[in-house]
Amino acid sequence: MSTAVQEKETILNFLDGDFGPGSNIPAIAGLNEKGTGNISEFPFPTKKDEDWRFTDLRSISRNHFVPVSEAGANPVGDISEYYLPEATNSRLVFVNGEFNPELSSTSDIPENVVVGNMTAYSDHKILETHLGKYTNYDEDQDVFAALNDANFKDGGFIYVPKETKVETPIHILNIFTDAEKAFYATPRVLFVGEAYSKATIVEEHVALTQNEYLNVTVNEFKLFEGAHVHHARIQRDSKKANHISRPIAHLDKYAEYHSYTICLGAKLFRNDPRVVQNDEEVDFTIDGLVLIDGDQIADTHSAIDHRHWHAKSHQLHKVVVNDEAHSIFNGKIFVREDSQKIDSFQENRNLLLSVDGTVHTKPQLEIFSDDVLCSHGATIGHLNEDEVFYLHSRGLTKKKARELLVYAFTLESIETMEVESVHKLLLDEVVKYTSRDEEFVAVGK
Amino acid sequence: MLEIKNLHACVEGEDEQILKGVNLTINKGEIHAIMGPNGSGKSTLAKVVSGHPEYEITEGEIIFEGEDITELDADERAHLGLFLAFQYPIEVPGITNRTLLRESYNTIARENGREELDPLEFDDYLKERLEVIDMKDEFLERSINTGFSGGEKKKNEVFQMAVLNPKLAFMDETDSGLDIDALKVVSDGINKIAGPENAIVLITHYQRLLNYITPDHVHVMMNGRIVKSAGKELALELEDQGYEQLEKEFSVNGEAQ
Repeated sequence: MSTAVQEKETILNFLDGDFGPGSNIPAIAGLNEKGTGNISEFPFPTKKDEDWRFTDLRSISRNHFVPVSEAGANPVGDISEYYLPEATNSRLVFVNGEFNPELSSTSDIPENVVVGNMTAYSDHKILETHLGKYTNYDEDQDVFAALNDANFKDGGFIYVPKETKVETPIHILNIFTDAEKAFYATPRVLFVGEAYSKATIVEEHVALTQNEYLNVTVNEFKLFEGAHVHHARIQRDSKKANHISRPIAHLDKYAEYHSYTICLGAKLFRNDPRVVQNDEEVDFTIDGLVLIDGDQIADTHSAIDHRHWHAKSHQLHKVVVNDEAHSIFNGKIFVREDSQKIDSFQENRNLLLSVDGTVHTKPQLEIFSDDVLCSHGATIGHLNEDEVFYLHSRGLTKKKARELLVYAFTLESIETMEVESVHKLLLDEVVKYTSRDEEFVAVGK
Repeated sequence: MLEIKNLHACVEGEDEQILKGVNLTINKGEIHAIMGPNGSGKSTLAKVVSGHPEYEITEGEIIFEGEDITELDADERAHLGLFLAFQYPIEVPGITNRTLLRESYNTIARENGREELDPLEFDDYLKERLEVIDMKDEFLERSINTGFSGGEKKKNEVFQMAVLNPKLAFMDETDSGLDIDALKVVSDGINKIAGPENAIVLITHYQRLLNYITPDHVHVMMNGRIVKSAGKELALELEDQGYEQLEKEFSVNGEAQ
């Protein structure tokens, strides 16, 4: 380097692309333009940034990503094994971030409800009004949300009108295929639930092979008065992938939003869920379950913003770590001045199956009100040797004992899954996760 | 059935011997009681026989039905028909009694070339075995020992034994902490299970349990050894005299010989 002052790095150092307004939908084009400006401005995070202190981003910064169109990506074949039987005809499929109409099916969606690709709704007022209005990641100069803004063309658009219930779960299936070059994809979802509407969303990210890619997701959920949403998020990305996820929900009076993020895949998973309370008497959940091994990193930086009276919030974040995997949890809870009668629960429980695993956990409560009930806790521990021996002495192999104990540890999270096949899928994933033959660590109390 | 020869054991990684040469022979159809003061090594003996990884056998051997089991893991010993009723049964939240017992029963059946029971058959079998300890069906749905009272935990150990039908059970202070009603249920259960084809070793601090279960042999353990063995009358003798007399008899300069 000849210059004395090194230029700051942006995400553009690690990827190629011609950015700029690339959509005939004004709302999308507007975001593309804003994002294009931001990605050349916002500095790429380093460990000096408080929010990235423990997160190793080298799997991005030592790589180079190209647009999907230049990656030599394999076409998608038969992916029916990933379909949910409960959502046979209420499914949107995105392949490497691009909408695939052939694999999608929405014939079970009621006529007054919108479930489709954004680009098909060029004159939809709701899309124009709401898209991009809820993400607040720019405030933190977040390069990843900016990349999504700059790049996305397609995206899931779900609109549920007033007092309408969508009976079948809506399956948003993001598929990633093998490619010659590492690529980036930017899945996007806008959900708008009008007053007293109700819907269940299953958002899934599945890799067909274990390739490298960068998956940068932004979800915006707007719930009007009394709207109810159950949102399951299943992350089964490639174990070489980077998945950066920005889901945000804005809740009006009496709204209920319950989200459950299950992290199984990705070399690096960074999830920043945020919930913003717009009015009184809301009820919401942002639970997480993380099962990682090898050299996986799973990082959750959540922010819950209580701005009005009478909110009930729940965050149970359970983590199982094996090998040299690394889990990071930073749970911000704000209770603003004059937002009384808040009942907020936060717990981060970590189970370490190996000696080389790492866990960082930090509950971060900022409370400016006095009539508030905020419970929080964080635990890190190994399997209990006494429990293992008890099961072992009853004839169970150590492997089976471990499987049962990990299963028991995760059960509370898995049981919250409303969709039966998702519930079953997760139970199978726990068995897969624990069915390795290696020794594991257990310690006495 | 079981032959323990000159068994020495210590806590893994520590020097101090806890078992210092235990000899014990148990035959089919017998009930044995091992008594002794706190810290005499009774519980350690039970754990070592069942294969607890915390202990290391430094000398001697354990022969079960002609096979040296000294090097076997706890699950392999369970497959052969050994059972330990825990002094402090472990709480395992999230796993029901039913789940554990089905897994356990079928694993042992499989290992012994017997047919596994399907969930419906197993349910019928469980319900029948519940009668042994006079518990209701709901007991099966509860997480293992989680939130159980002391008495319920001990009953659960006897219930597990009733279901798994071991050849040899070590029952580590299954009587301690039980009120009179629970003690009767537990000892009734043990009496129902005891038969000509199995053997039971009761480890107890008090003679109380032996009012309800009549042992064929009573052993006194002190300082890591069995120092005296006799018939059931020994228990009564100990009840009258306490352990002091024996302690004097078997100790010189405060060290048992």
